[in-house]
Amino acid sequence: MNYAMVLDYQNCINCKACEVACKEQNNVELGADKQRIWVGQTDNVIFGNLFVNFYPSQCNHCLDAPCVDVCPTQASHFVEGGLVLVDQKKCILCKGCMEACPYDARFVDDERVAVDKCTFCYDTRILKGETTTACQATCPTKVRMFGDLDDENGDVIQLLKQRKFFVLKAKEGTVPKLFYLVPENDEEYALQSIGHNNKIYTWDEMSPIIEAAKAKRSKQWKKS
Amino acid sequence: MNVEISRRRFLQGSVALSILGGMSFSSDKLFSQENKDSLSSEKKTKDVPFLCGMCVNKCAGFARVEDGVIKKLNPNPYFPKSRNMLCPRGNAGIHTLYDPDRLKYPLIRIGERGDGKYKRASWDEAYDAILHGTDKFKGILQILDEEKDNRATIGYCNGEGLSKEGFEDLMGQKIGTPNYVDEISICLETTLAGYFNTIGTYGEADLKNCDYLIIAGANRAEAIITPDTMDMFKRNRGRGLKIIAIDPRYTNTVANADRWYAINPGTDLAFVLALTYVVIKEELYNKDFVAKYAVGFEDYKKHILSNNYTPQWAEKITGIDADEIYKTAVEFMRAINPIYYQGRRSVFAKNDFQLRRAMAIFQGLSGNLDKKGGIVFGKKIKLPKEDINAPMYAQVQERFDVKSVAIPPDKTGSWILFRNIILEGKNPYPVRAMFMRKHNPMSGVPNTTKTEQFLRKMDLNVMIDILPSDTTMFCDVVLPEASYLERTSPVASYGAIEPAIVQRKASVEPLYETKTPEVIYKELAQRLTKPLWKNTLKYDEDVQDDTKGMDPSAIEKYYKENGFDLTDLYEKTVEEANRDKVIKTFGEEAWKILEERGVYYPNIQKYHKKLNANESEYYPDDKKYYTTKKDKLKVIMNFKNLAKKGVDPMPTWHDRWAFKVPEGQFRLITGRHAQFTQSGTTNNIMLRDLIRTNYLWINQDVANKRGIEFGDDLEVKSSVGKINIKAFPTDRIAYNQIFLLHGFGGTSKEMEFAYGHGANDALIIEDKVEPVYGGAVMHETNVEVRKV
Repeated sequence: MNYAMVLDYQNCINCKACEVACKEQNNVELGADKQRIWVGQTDNVIFGNLFVNFYPSQCNHCLDAPCVDVCPTQASHFVEGGLVLVDQKKCILCKGCMEACPYDARFVDDERVAVDKCTFCYDTRILKGETTTACQATCPTKVRMFGDLDDENGDVIQLLKQRKFFVLKAKEGTVPKLFYLVPENDEEYALQSIGHNNKIYTWDEMSPIIEAAKAKRSKQWKKS
Repeated sequence: MNVEISRRRFLQGSVALSILGGMSFSSDKLFSQENKDSLSSEKKTKDVPFLCGMCVNKCAGFARVEDGVIKKLNPNPYFPKSRNMLCPRGNAGIHTLYDPDRLKYPLIRIGERGDGKYKRASWDEAYDAILHGTDKFKGILQILDEEKDNRATIGYCNGEGLSKEGFEDLMGQKIGTPNYVDEISICLETTLAGYFNTIGTYGEADLKNCDYLIIAGANRAEAIITPDTMDMFKRNRGRGLKIIAIDPRYTNTVANADRWYAINPGTDLAFVLALTYVVIKEELYNKDFVAKYAVGFEDYKKHILSNNYTPQWAEKITGIDADEIYKTAVEFMRAINPIYYQGRRSVFAKNDFQLRRAMAIFQGLSGNLDKKGGIVFGKKIKLPKEDINAPMYAQVQERFDVKSVAIPPDKTGSWILFRNIILEGKNPYPVRAMFMRKHNPMSGVPNTTKTEQFLRKMDLNVMIDILPSDTTMFCDVVLPEASYLERTSPVASYGAIEPAIVQRKASVEPLYETKTPEVIYKELAQRLTKPLWKNTLKYDEDVQDDTKGMDPSAIEKYYKENGFDLTDLYEKTVEEANRDKVIKTFGEEAWKILEERGVYYPNIQKYHKKLNANESEYYPDDKKYYTTKKDKLKVIMNFKNLAKKGVDPMPTWHDRWAFKVPEGQFRLITGRHAQFTQSGTTNNIMLRDLIRTNYLWINQDVANKRGIEFGDDLEVKSSVGKINIKAFPTDRIAYNQIFLLHGFGGTSKEMEFAYGHGANDALIIEDKVEPVYGGAVMHETNVEVRKV
C-alpha cells in the first residue's frame, strides 16, 4: 500500500470546494490561513497578455520526508501506506517541521496547540472504508484522483501510465506523491503553467524512484 | 377540483395547477424510532439525500447525520445534473443550518422600522399580529377592511426555491392578490424571454459534446451552474472544447479560455450582429437548416446587410478588433458543434432582450439546435399536478404595473417598476402590505435607498426567512423558517438531456422554534381564513348575491366549495404528497429508489454506471434526449408581433446604447464569486474564511496615477448613492471600469459575521429598467471614485 494523489490541475477553476470539504471533513480550524489544502495562484503578464494559473495543492506525503526527520518528539511520523501524519499529542510546536517542509504544507492549529496538515483523510475517511478523500469527492471538475501506487489496476496507476506528469520541487529530493498531469494538446498552456526547470516524468521513470524511496523508508511506516 | 374562472375579474394569468401540501408534525414524528434510538449511547449514523439550497442549482448530496447532528455534506453520485459534486457553498451549507445568527423564533416589532427592536413571540402571537396588528402597525384585517376587501392591496415577493410555488399558491391563488414580484426581474428574465421568443426554449447547452463555445458575460468558473461548469472545464484547452470568452473583466473563466476579448460593457449586441453579418454575407450559415426551420430569414438577412453591421462597425462600438470578430464568426460556423452560450444572470444593458434574441438567432444560423453538441430542448419527466380551488374575489383589482412595460409578464412583475410606482404614488389603489419570503430586495434591487423608502411606506411588512437580512429589519412580523437541511421539499423534476426527478429530504428536524415553509403556509392559512372570509362577506357583492338567504351551514358549504377556505391546499403533508405522486406515476419501486438515493429516473438501476472513483454515466448515449423537437423546431428571426408592442421585431442596434463614460469616471460592473451566492451566504463562517469582504477592482495603471494602493479606502459615488470600499488595483479590468462583487455590505447588525464587511452595490446602481420586460439594468451606471 502506497497512497498518492494525481492532480489534473488543468481542470481547476479555483472554486475552493476542496478547501471547504476538507475543513468540514477534518474539523480544520477556522481562519483563512488555516488550510490543510489550498489552490495556489499565479497572476502574471507575458508579452502584454494576462494569464492566471491555478495549482491545487496540499501535503505531498513525501516518501523521503524531511519533516519526519527533524521532529524531535516523533510527532511527525509515517504510517502504513506511506502517509505522513502528525501525532498532535506529541507535538511541542517547535515548528521544525514547518521549516523543513519544502511545500509550506503545515500550519499551527491554535485550538489543538499543535501542527496540522493534510492526512489524505486517513482517519476521517480512509480508515472508515471510504476510497476517496473529501477534496477529491467534492471537486466539480474532478481534479484529484486518490489511490494506491501499488495497485496496478487502480485509477491512479492507470492515469500515471497514460499521461506524463511532474512533481513540485523535484530537486528537493523528498520524493513527493502529488503527481501533476502535464496538460495534453495545449503546449502553450503547458509551457506557461510548468516551470522551465521542472522535470517531466513518465511512470517508467518515476516508478524506480518511488521504489527506492519506499525501500529506504518503509521500515519506519507504523502500523495503524 | 376545477374552478370556473370566467365571471369575475381576477386572474389575468393562468391558474397555476399545483398543490403543495403543508407538513404537520405530530409528536409521533418528533420522537420517531430514529430519534429514540439516538438517545442510546451508541452513535447512530445515517446518510440522508438532500438537494442543496445554497443557490439556484439544486445539486444533490447526502447529509451525514450523527446523533441528530449533520457532520458533513457529501456529493450524490446519482444526479445527472450535479454529477457527484458539491461546490464550496454546498459544502458550507452546514453553517447555514447551524448559523448562530439564525432567526430562531417568531418576532414582533416593538421599536421603529429599521432599528432592530423586536420582541420574541409565540407562533400564535405572531399570526395574531399579522391579523390584528399591534400599537406599532396595522394588521391585515384592518387594511383589507379599509380597502373593502381589495386583495390587491397586498403585495408579495419570494426568491427562488422549491417552496416558492407554495407561497405563490397561498398568496396569489388563495388570498388572491395579483401583485407579485420575485427574483426574475433582477435575474435572467430577458435571457429566458429572448430565447423563448426565438427558439421556443432557453434550452440546455450540451457542453459535453460541444466543440466551440462563445461564452459572453457568463462566468462559469465563478458563477457555477451545474452541469455546465463541470462539463466545460474538463474539456477546455486542447481537449475538444475551444472557449472564446467575452467579458469586460479577466475572470477565472477567462483564465481557462483559449481566447479573451475585453468587450465594452453593454455592447454585446453589436458583437453578435457583426458575427451575424459575417456569416450571412459570406453565406457560411447552415443553409439546409435555415431553409427548413427559420422564420423570416430573408427579412433578417436584408436587415443585417442593409444596416451594414460589419466587424469594422462593431469594432468601434465593442472595442474588439474587427479581424478577431471575423475570425470568430468563421471559426464558429466551421466548427462541428458550436454554441453561443445562452448565459444567465441579470440584465446587463437596456438592449438585453434584443441581445438574447440575436444570440439565439445566431445559434440558429449554425443549425446546431436540437441535436447532440448543440443547444437542446431535452426532456422533462412529468409529475402530476393537482388543481387549486382558487376563489374569485369581486373586489380585487388587477395588477397596477402592467402598462409600464411592452410585454407584461403574466405572473410576476418588475421589482424596480413595482417599487417606484408605489413610491411615486402612481398606483391606482393603495398597496399597503408586503408579504415577503426568502428575499432581500435591500441588497438585490438597484437603489437601496428607494427600497428602504418603499418598505417604510407599507402599513404591514411580514417576512418569512432564515436569517435576519437587511430587509427583515424593516419587517413588522418575522416568521423563522427551517433551512433546506431541515425540511422535505416538494418533489421536483429536472428537465434535461438526462432528466431525473429529485427529492430533498429533511436531514434533521427544524431547529429552535423554526418551521418548514409549508407548515407556515398552512398555519397562516388556518389563522387568516375565517377572518378574511368575513371581510369578503362584508364587501364582496358577488359573494353576497350568491349567499343571500343562505343559512350558516349553507354559507359554510359555499365557502368550502368555492375555495374561500384557504386551508384546503394543505390536506396532505409534503411527504404524503410526494409519496402519492411518485407511487401513482412510477410505482412503489421508484419511490423506494427516490427515498434512498434522492434521485430517480426510469431505468436508473440499469443506466447508472460508475466509471471511476469520480465519475458516473447516467444514461447510455443512445438513450439521452438530444433531439426532441424535430419538425416542430422553429427559429423566429423576424418576430413581427413584437412590432405591435413597440419592440424591434428583429435585433437592431441603436446608437443610444453606445458605451459612454465621462472623462475621469468609471462604468460600474458587478458579478459573482464561486464562494458565495448573494447576501444570503455572507454570514456563513466557513465561506467567510475564503472571502470576507468585497473589494473595488480598479485598473492598475489608473490606480498608480491616482496614488491608490491595495486596501486603500475609496468612496464610490453614483447619482443615487455612495459606498465606501477598499481598493484592489489589478490588470484584470479596463481603465474606465470598476468592478465589485455583489452581496456584501449588509446593514443588519443581527448578522454579526457579515456586518461591517464590504459594500452593497445596490446602493449605487441606478434604478434603470430595460423597456421590454422591466428587468433591472445592472451595468449602465457611471460612478466617480475618490480616495478617502
